[in-house]
Order: sequence, then C-alpha cells, then structure tokens
Amino acid sequence: MQCAELLRLQAYFDGELDALSAAEIERHTEVCAECRALLKDLEQTRAALRHDLPHAGAPPALRARIMRSLDQETAIQSPRGDGGRRTRWPQPFWRGVFSGVGGAAIAAGMAFFLLAPSLTNPLLDDLVSAHVRSLMPDHLIDVVSTDKHTVKPWFAGHTDVSPVVADFDQQGYRLIGGRADYFDRQRAAVVVYQHGSHVINVFSWAADQHGVPSNTTRNGYHMAFWKAGDLVYCAVSDTGWDELLGLVRLLQELATRDAR
Amino acid sequence: MDDGRRRFEAQVLPHLDAAYRFARWLSRSPSDAEDVVQEAVLRAFRGFDGLRGNDAKAWLLTIVKNCHFTALKQQQRRAFVPLPEEHDLPDGDAMIATTPDPESSSIRRDEERTLQQLLSALPEEQREVLVLREIEELDYRQIAAIANIPIGTVMSRLARARAALKARWSEKAGGDPRAVR
Repeated sequence: MQCAELLRLQAYFDGELDALSAAEIERHTEVCAECRALLKDLEQTRAALRHDLPHAGAPPALRARIMRSLDQETAIQSPRGDGGRRTRWPQPFWRGVFSGVGGAAIAAGMAFFLLAPSLTNPLLDDLVSAHVRSLMPDHLIDVVSTDKHTVKPWFAGHTDVSPVVADFDQQGYRLIGGRADYFDRQRAAVVVYQHGSHVINVFSWAADQHGVPSNTTRNGYHMAFWKAGDLVYCAVSDTGWDELLGLVRLLQELATRDAR
Repeated sequence: MDDGRRRFEAQVLPHLDAAYRFARWLSRSPSDAEDVVQEAVLRAFRGFDGLRGNDAKAWLLTIVKNCHFTALKQQQRRAFVPLPEEHDLPDGDAMIATTPDPESSSIRRDEERTLQQLLSALPEEQREVLVLREIEELDYRQIAAIANIPIGTVMSRLARARAALKARWSEKAGGDPRAVR
C-alpha cells in the first residue's frame, strides 16, 4: 500500500475525512483485505491504549496545591478584590464601627488608609508578585553563585542596572545568586540571599521621579525600600523586620563605602 | 471570588486531569510532572485573557508542553554546566541530576513487559502525538497546535508511532499481539 493511502486510511479511522472520502474508503475496505487488517490493527492499538493503561488523574494533593497558588495569585492580582478576606479585622469590629454616627467617616478614613498604597503604587504589587513567583519551583535564580564577581558581571548582560552585590555569609546573609526580572518597564536586577530558611530578594531598578516608597508589608511579606546612587532598592521577604533591615543596613554601608 | 477566577475554574480546571496525564507522559518522574502542571496552570491563569474561542483543553496542554520544555532546559543546564564555585563540593554532588531518579528506574525494571513501558520507549515526538490522539482524543488540528507542527506531520508522525508501537508489541508478545491483552 502507498504511504499516502495509509495516511488516508488512518485519517478515516481518526474521523478526519469528509463524508464523501469516508464512503470511498468504506467501499475500498470491503474489497481490500490488507486495508481491513490495517484498520483492525489500528482499532486494537486504540483499545489497548484506552483500556489497558492506568489513566490516573491529577493527585488530590496537586489539585490542592494549585488551588492555593491560584488563591495567592488572585490576592496579588486584585488585592482590593475582597476586603473581608484581606483585612484582618474581625467582623464584629466593623459592625461596631458602622453602628456609630462618626463610624462611617472613620471607616472611610481606614479604607483609604488600607487601599491607598495599592491605588497609588502598583509597583508594590509587582514586587510582591515577583517575590512570590521567585519561590515557585525553578524560578529563584538565573545565575547560581556565592561569588559577587560572578553575579555582578552577569547582571551587566541581562539587566539595565548594576546593583551592589556582596556575600554577607559572616553576618548570616548568604549570597545564593542573581536573577533578571521585568517590571515597571525595565529589566530589574534581583540579588538573592538566604537567611536561615528564608529567601530574601533584593530588587534594584533605575530611580525615576516617583521617589522611594516607604517600607510596608504586603500579603505578609515585608518590603524595605531605600535609594543608593541612582538606583532604588527593595528587599522583600517573609523574615521579620529586624532580620530584613539587618541586610538593608549591610547593603547601605557597602554602597556608601563604594561611593567614596 | 472574582469573575475571571470563576470562569477560569469552569473552563480550564476541568482539564487538569488531562494536563497531568500529558505531563506524566512527557516528564521523567511524577514530581517533575506535578511541578510542570502547577506552573502551567499558573501561567494559564495569568494568560487567561489570551484564550480565544473555547478550546481550553488544547490551550492548556500547549502550555503544559511549553512548561515541560522550560523545565527540561533548566534541568539540563543544571546537570551539565559546572559552575565555578562548585569545585569545593564533594565529588559527584554536581552530577546527581544526570542520573534518572530511583523511582523511574525501578518502574523500568519492574514493568518491562507492559504496554506502558512500550509507550514510554517510543521517541518523545511519537509518544506525544499518540497520547494526544488516543488517550486525550484530540483531533489533528489540536495536536498540530500543541506539538507545533503542520497537520501533515501530525499524520505521518502518528502513523509512525502506531506502527512502531504495534511492532514492539508484537515483538514482546512473541509475534502475536493478541497474546498481550
């Protein structure tokens, strides 16, 4: 049998032929034993693959893991989406506040206070999002190195900035590598440190006229901002403030020394 | 829960089992497959606006395939490029990733004669089209999109895959394919 004929028979078997061509094949197989045998082979292979193989679905644990990561992602994408879920105030507190005459004003003030950062600065969301993303499998590090002489030159080719890089292993902040990240319309550099079992991402990008945001906490992640030279830095982690600011101090001292 | 999330759960998540099965056939181990699927679903969620029409299954499987490739490239990079500061590690540490994980080699030993093993032994490109056609029951057009090849190539590759599986099957069963079943 010709190759093209075989493909046509196969297409018939797979239901890919139009009615006219299918009828032709059917007429042909009535008289051609070879084609009938081939069709039978195709059927047997299909039956075996569909019925004899174990076809496990996604394990429940994976499903749960995915739902959690979607929750996290939803929280990042729309931090204002569901006030009740995000704010940690217990319900009775709100009811109490709303019961008073001045309550509405207070609530409005509170709401503004709670919502303002995300209204005025999408950058914060981008940073938390980038930090969370970096903790997903295989996303943490592009260049793995504990050597600043490896990490720093790597940034030159992959990002728009050249941040301070150093290993502070002695002080408990081990340099583990670097990564390029894209946000705020530029290729930012990310230096990755490990402190105990926590990962600290130190983002850096070229300063613009918007100035430096103040330190804040988003979705449980602390974010410390500072400016050194013409770069803005942001350290993000789930460590405590003291640990995070410890690294910030070390990096600031280094930048000051470098500038001299 | 917002509307986008609801639509995503209704349109895309029903295909999670298919995504996982497909990833299992592509990946070397169950844990690799899980990571690939998790990453794929997250990417799908971020790019949900990019889903045109309603072929969510083929769309999700395409993303699974892309994630599988990305993971594979990263594994290869990690396995084969020695980094300068790894010199001080004990010998062999950097090479761990190059050997197949114990689970997959024990599967290979224990189930040598099964159809599963025969299918796994096919070249990846053949296994891919065969799995998509016979197990996921996708049509040529969808398979072409996922494998990123023309429909003509889908047809010839599928024919080769079927012939190869049939041949190996007959071989294992001592010439009679029906003896296996």
